[in-house]
Amino acid sequence: MPLSDEPATNHPPRGDKVMRGGTAHSSGSGACLTPPAESIIRIEHITKIFKNRQTVVAVDDVTFEVQRGEIFGLLGPNGAGKSTLIRILTTLLQPTSGTACVDTYDITRDPEKIRGIIGVCPQNSTLDVELTAYDNLEFYGKLVNVDDDTLDARIWQLLKMADLADRAHMKVQTFSGGMRRKLEIVRAFIHHPLILFLDEPTIGLDPESRREVWEQIASLNAEKTTIILTTHYMDEAEKLCYRIAFVDKGRLIALDVLENLKRLIPAGDLLEIGFETMNEGVVSSIRQDGLINSVEVKEQKLVISAKTGAGCCLPLLQSLKNFPFPSPPSPYTRRRLRTCSST
Amino acid sequence: MIRGAIAIFKRDFKKFLGNPYVLVFTLLMPIMYLVIFGNAMGGTISHVPIGVVQEGPPYTETPLFSSSVEELIHIQPQKDNPRLFDVAVYTDETIAKRDLSEGRISGVVVFPSEVSRDHAIRLYLDSSDYMVPTLVQSGVGAALAKTGSHNPVQVNKIYGDIKYIQFFGVGVIVMAIFMTTMMGGGIALIKDREMGIHEGYLVTPVKRSSIILGMISSGTVRAFLAGFIIFIVGILITGIIMRSVEDFLLVLFVIFIASIGVTSLMVSVASRFSNQQEYASTTAFFNLILFMTSGAFYPTIGMPDWLRWITLINPEWYSVHALRSIILRGQGLEVVGADLVALLIFSILAISLGILTYRRTLE
Repeated sequence: MPLSDEPATNHPPRGDKVMRGGTAHSSGSGACLTPPAESIIRIEHITKIFKNRQTVVAVDDVTFEVQRGEIFGLLGPNGAGKSTLIRILTTLLQPTSGTACVDTYDITRDPEKIRGIIGVCPQNSTLDVELTAYDNLEFYGKLVNVDDDTLDARIWQLLKMADLADRAHMKVQTFSGGMRRKLEIVRAFIHHPLILFLDEPTIGLDPESRREVWEQIASLNAEKTTIILTTHYMDEAEKLCYRIAFVDKGRLIALDVLENLKRLIPAGDLLEIGFETMNEGVVSSIRQDGLINSVEVKEQKLVISAKTGAGCCLPLLQSLKNFPFPSPPSPYTRRRLRTCSST
Repeated sequence: MIRGAIAIFKRDFKKFLGNPYVLVFTLLMPIMYLVIFGNAMGGTISHVPIGVVQEGPPYTETPLFSSSVEELIHIQPQKDNPRLFDVAVYTDETIAKRDLSEGRISGVVVFPSEVSRDHAIRLYLDSSDYMVPTLVQSGVGAALAKTGSHNPVQVNKIYGDIKYIQFFGVGVIVMAIFMTTMMGGGIALIKDREMGIHEGYLVTPVKRSSIILGMISSGTVRAFLAGFIIFIVGILITGIIMRSVEDFLLVLFVIFIASIGVTSLMVSVASRFSNQQEYASTTAFFNLILFMTSGAFYPTIGMPDWLRWITLINPEWYSVHALRSIILRGQGLEVVGADLVALLIFSILAISLGILTYRRTLE
């Protein structure tokens, strides 16, 4: 599998923000054939609607680009539409509207070509548990056209990489979750794909296995493979990804390099105070404190974002004292105040 | 205890009602059994094709010949029933016998010429069929009795005495092929789909046709092995005698082609299903229709026309016919050739259908 001829830099120069809607290419027949050198995946206004009794908008008008050689993170809670997006890009689903290009191919016109250059590790295991680790890799290697002469050597290389060489001829059903996951990840790049899709690569793994998988991913990226991974772990995205896209309810919320995203999040601590009844004056009184960024009332809680949690705890209590509460603070309130902590 | 039982009952029932496809098929099955089994097994056999011929020379028709033919044409087992025989008059005994051996007619009645010494009427029967030979024999006997002739009747079963178990044993080979394909090929395919192994295929450059052909070939080999084993067991149990090595090899060839036909059909069907239950109820339905109309149990001549029409597109009918021709009648490629061509056409259609309908996406 030839890698791209482009001088792929692992981490493109920082600071080039690509926000949603920020692409310049028009969709159309030739759009995929003349890609800008740095982008390997271009998604334009992709929408996916599932109609099955209830209509569910899984992906809602998403536009972004993935750059050649980067590790791109799709971060979001469960059901945000990350997997659907991955499935569209890996030609398993057709978008309801919009287009996307993977390398120089259009996902709806040339799905066969795309399947030749990608490696996929889906969220749910697609290993055949009744076959051995070796057989799984051999079978998959043949499906993705790995040369027979090099296949055996490649399989052993991957098994060693996944630390499974001593288990090569054992059935996968005897493997632990972590071993299966590692096997599935190495299987996805048996043919040196140009782009590797990892859907929740470390879901359900213990910290040790997670660290190993991360190392694996990082070393692959060093071989100039573009990697797109989905996760709902912030730390995973932080550890691995160069640029991160926040997705929620099918929409792209933000996309940027990690530092810029961090700047978007207010610095400091988040304080929560529980209450039973709320006096209107409390919120505006707290807002006057210079250390407080924002105050919000959420259900029976005051959510306070402060520059330093420790510094504002005392003045906060002072200002609360100024208001006559109808009943003495409940034990719950007191407990919450005492654990006035940063999250 | 009761609470738990009720909870489990409710859950099962919700799932039952939530799958209308399976629900319809479970209700449809007994009805189809009634209609198909009832019609296939209980139908009155009528319009049995037989040939009549008079010995010669001289070729002048004897009164016995003309009156007997008249009676044979009009004989009815019961009043208002359709006629028992479709009578074809031959002028040459050898041609009549050839038609009999090629299965075009079920019996030949040879009447004596005027100069015959013993005036015996000879009856040749295709004894490889079930029910029909007995029916022809008694029908001819009844017709002759009506003419008031007292000629002796010589009965010749051209394939000797064939027991029902031998007649049926051939059908069981085809059943084995079907069962293996249904259980092994189809269910395994759907299990793979449920386990997500197909999702793994779909993101690789492997072609739809490769997936289908791969599954059909593995299924065919399994079905062939099953058919072969049942064939050997059948020989031992039913006492069928293979006449020559060529016949034996021809049987294996037919089993192989039949395996391709049935496997391609099942894989094409299975490639559309993602749920084992739906598939199982559909194939049970297929099994019923195809096996009942295959002639494995009961001669297809006894079936109503609409049911007999299905045999034309039923790969099992061609398989049963071909196997019976070789095993029970000792016929060769000249007879089973047409069956093999029909099976191959069927397989090609089924394979194309399978490739065309295989879903390349998850939707």
